[in-house]
Amino acid sequence: MNLRAALAVEALKLRRSTVARIATALLVLLVPLGSVGMVALARSPQPVGPTAAKLADYATGDLATTHLLVCAQVLSVAALAAGGFFVAWSFGRELESGTAGALFGLAVSRGTVALAKCLVALAWIVACVVLTVAVTVAASAVVTAVSGEAFGPEAWAGARNSVVAGVLGSGLALPFAWVATATRSQLGTVGALVGVVSLTQIVVLLGGGSWFPYAAPSLWAGMGGAAAAAAVGLPHLLLAAAVAPVAVAAVVQAWRRLTNV
Amino acid sequence: MTALLLDDVSHSFGDRVALDHLTLDVEPGRVTALIGLNGAGKTTALRALAGRLRPTHGEARILGHNPADLPIDVATRFGHVVDTPLIYPELTVTESLRCSARLHGRPRQAAAPAASAAVGRMGLAPWRHARARTLSMGNRQRLGIACATLHRPTALILDEPTSALDPQGVVLVRELVRELADEGAAVLVSSHHLDEVARVADEIVVLHGGRDVGRLEPGGTDLEQRFFAMVLEADTRNADIRTANARTADTGSLA
Repeated sequence: MNLRAALAVEALKLRRSTVARIATALLVLLVPLGSVGMVALARSPQPVGPTAAKLADYATGDLATTHLLVCAQVLSVAALAAGGFFVAWSFGRELESGTAGALFGLAVSRGTVALAKCLVALAWIVACVVLTVAVTVAASAVVTAVSGEAFGPEAWAGARNSVVAGVLGSGLALPFAWVATATRSQLGTVGALVGVVSLTQIVVLLGGGSWFPYAAPSLWAGMGGAAAAAAVGLPHLLLAAAVAPVAVAAVVQAWRRLTNV
Repeated sequence: MTALLLDDVSHSFGDRVALDHLTLDVEPGRVTALIGLNGAGKTTALRALAGRLRPTHGEARILGHNPADLPIDVATRFGHVVDTPLIYPELTVTESLRCSARLHGRPRQAAAPAASAAVGRMGLAPWRHARARTLSMGNRQRLGIACATLHRPTALILDEPTSALDPQGVVLVRELVRELADEGAAVLVSSHHLDEVARVADEIVVLHGGRDVGRLEPGGTDLEQRFFAMVLEADTRNADIRTANARTADTGSLA
């Protein structure tokens, strides 16, 4: 009953959250638009020089499958960013504004509140990922129909990969709930998020990405090329997936032990 | 049983002593007021009592339990507003009250009637659908108190509950506090408003430099004068002790 009450409260706060509204709109509209648009740009005569080189992977191959390939690559990072911003707000603002202090001595414990926050954040970002992939599939189906190409089984496999990459990215956002609790700062948490994304780039550049949880989903989605994608297997993805439950356990424990608020 | 207890509690923020061996208890059915100058330690004492601060020495008890980890059946009988109330700016007045009712252990079906009753009780009906961020400071304070009391707690802590209220709000809060105490609740209130304290409290504890420096009777018209006399006496006593300590130290070094 207590978790149900905490979930109801946190879900209401999510529905009223400006951060969640903006992040939802950006994910659900910009990612499909970017996925279809980048492939269209790659296959047009416009890109030259470095742009053409960057878009070369999208210039050939099955049209719908390529749309979903771009979607998976963008979503693996975008879900992390959206989720990271949301948990920075959800956890950090309670400690910044002092409402965390008002959560002491309630029938719903602070650990339960923290668990509800994590579950609501995860459910929201996963729903956004599924919706984003659905909109991308719909947009791709329209584009392929207009251009006389088929939306085949490979494209559906691409849609599934997009969901997996997005869900893994979502789970990777949860450690930032712990960062927000430790730093008691929304901006500090966003700074840590930017830092981790930058660190991921460095790790990938050094060729050590597959065992780095924050790099594995993007590499698996093909962001580092076909060879890097092939190097990412189930153990690497499971390691990335394990980050979320560990983070939830850590943040619940941190909220149980919260003091001086 | 003592409902609210601070037992020999001390706490420091760095070198600054905020609480110095403070012992304070509130019995059921009593309203105790904590008064003192700014920085006297009132809010720190209330934070320690609400479990929001782990004191470096001593212990706090709410209905006999550690306030940082209250069992559910005890938590459903406890309410507090210390510093920031349980209000989120994006929620409406009614939503805030419903959320508070749920977090205080009320079932979903009971949350709406409890919220509605609290809206009426605290005179918030014209703003029931307004977002908390749009409320005046006084109405925010009314809402915060409503959120902390809509479950009719038997142990209640209120920090400066009338600091932003208009005269009507002051009367509403006074009536609410007295009503809860008459039902058997133990209430601890901190305040700067000595006139208000005199009207609502059964007992007044004067806090100065983090220490309990004495008790005042709520009656009479010279409460302010008695308060300052007590604070001055405490300062004089401290100065005397410091002087005596310094002399002892000087004598020791000469010897």
